[in-house]
Amino acid sequence: MKTLVRPPVIARALVLIALLAVPLVVEDQYIRHTLVVAMLYAIVAANWDVTLGFAGIFNFGHLAFFALGAYSAGMLTKKFGFPTWTGIPFAALVATIASLIVCLPVLRLKGIYVVLVTYAFSQLCYQVILNQTEYTGGTFGLVLVPPLEVFGYSFRSAGNIPYYYLALALLVVSTVYLHFVIRSNLGRSIIALRDNEAYAISRGVALARQRFLTFGASAIFTGAAGGLYAQYLRTASPDMFGFAFVTFTLAMLLLGGIGTMWGPIIGAFVFTFISEAMIDLKEWRWLIIGTLIVVVLRFFPAGLLSLVEQIGERLGRRLQPAAPVPAPERPGSG
Amino acid sequence: MADVLVVENVVKTFGALRAVDGVSLSVREGEVFGVAGPNGSGKSTLFNIITGIPFHADSGRILFDGTPIERMPPHAICRAGIARTFQTETDFETLSLFDNVKLGTVYGHARGMSEEEQRRVTRETLEFVGLGGDHDRPAGDISVFDKKRLMIASALATKPRLLLLDEPASGLTRPEIRETSALIRRLSETGVTIVLIEHVLPLLLTVSNRLMVLNFGQVLTEGHPKEVVKNEQVIEAYLGKRGDHGRDAA
Repeated sequence: MKTLVRPPVIARALVLIALLAVPLVVEDQYIRHTLVVAMLYAIVAANWDVTLGFAGIFNFGHLAFFALGAYSAGMLTKKFGFPTWTGIPFAALVATIASLIVCLPVLRLKGIYVVLVTYAFSQLCYQVILNQTEYTGGTFGLVLVPPLEVFGYSFRSAGNIPYYYLALALLVVSTVYLHFVIRSNLGRSIIALRDNEAYAISRGVALARQRFLTFGASAIFTGAAGGLYAQYLRTASPDMFGFAFVTFTLAMLLLGGIGTMWGPIIGAFVFTFISEAMIDLKEWRWLIIGTLIVVVLRFFPAGLLSLVEQIGERLGRRLQPAAPVPAPERPGSG
Repeated sequence: MADVLVVENVVKTFGALRAVDGVSLSVREGEVFGVAGPNGSGKSTLFNIITGIPFHADSGRILFDGTPIERMPPHAICRAGIARTFQTETDFETLSLFDNVKLGTVYGHARGMSEEEQRRVTRETLEFVGLGGDHDRPAGDISVFDKKRLMIASALATKPRLLLLDEPASGLTRPEIRETSALIRRLSETGVTIVLIEHVLPLLLTVSNRLMVLNFGQVLTEGHPKEVVKNEQVIEAYLGKRGDHGRDAA
């Protein structure tokens, strides 16, 4: 599993410029809305990749961090009357605390048991949300969440364009943050523990501490995205704890390329748009998406990012036909 | 010279099997202490219980510089100054050679280093074990010999006072064994104390100051390497008794 695969700087810059320009050139609110949703999914999927891909921990409670972020931002601003700008930071805080709690049992478990415990945590949150109807709205969800307002300026003005830029800013900050996390000593130790746990411990890596840091690091922006989601859509729904939501995001991760920085982001955009484009097909949509996942994983097990990389390499070779092919270097003297 | 490591009567059982059965030993500062024995005699299990990876001893005491470590968490044992290698080639396959070794400089000892110092120590350590050239290659792509040396480099990066080498020469060619032998001597010259498990007897005899032989989890004998290999019991443990073909010595 490669860890540092990434599209060239120019491609990333062009995509960022295009995303910055969208509200200026595209008047269609629906496309803007889909992009906001895709960007939030990209944040969730990319941060999930920290535990699932880079750390190799089968954490199926990640979407609960997102849902808890949405509910906590909604409840703080709607039920307790806090200013709306406190919603997103509070969501990040609650999600991080939740991630540290779910990490506790994970410290002593491996493999399938981690899946069970983390998913059970998600279901536990779901039950609590359902029972606390007074605060959470129960099965109906938390509705009429106050939209974000900063210094009297509503983010709903100008056809939700401020929300678009806020989501984009959050995606950029989250991506830069993940870039530094993965390249830091913490990031290397997370990958080392995935590659060989006993060996990493034998080199002084403290397993429990690194696990807590891994979970905490993956939850901050996931929670923040949840808070923004609730304030943008003005609702937090118990469906956010459901398995459909988990599989949807997991598909983005697998399609894009697990254990990579950019794969989940590419996966989120591609998957959100494919899914929206096929909305008229009703149930057939899921059949086609399922087939697509199987086909991509069969032919490109490392995800769509590896496909992009292969195309890039071929183009590169074609552009430089005269360049000599370097002989493969023999490692060391042995 | 002072004893760096003292092991007193350690026992480790797996069900009915007593893999390490009351082993005691002491390793002096700066020496190369060889450990030999047939397969299944408890050599690697001894390393496992000294380092706590992946398990501690059932009973007995282990003192490192006079401090009991038999219940210390394994990462803390590493930070205290004991680093080990493993019998099979072990690496962080998706990380580069550089990051494999740097991990040890970052987490392997109590004293913090600046980023610049970590990078310098990492480079020097890789070069010390003979891994020059491209340090950005993924560790999964290199040869067995290079993997063995990488594992030693990552152990050295933790700045150990005691280095436990588990069969560093297994699976290597003769020239590679010679290089490994020279590397162990160079290591020893830096002042680090070494405990060496090895099946390749010529290597063990050339580099060890003292040699201990284990059999069925117990110490068979211990002493000067040249004398130990002439010991009747040792010959029996390896080759079986003269005329006793029915019994499996291992």
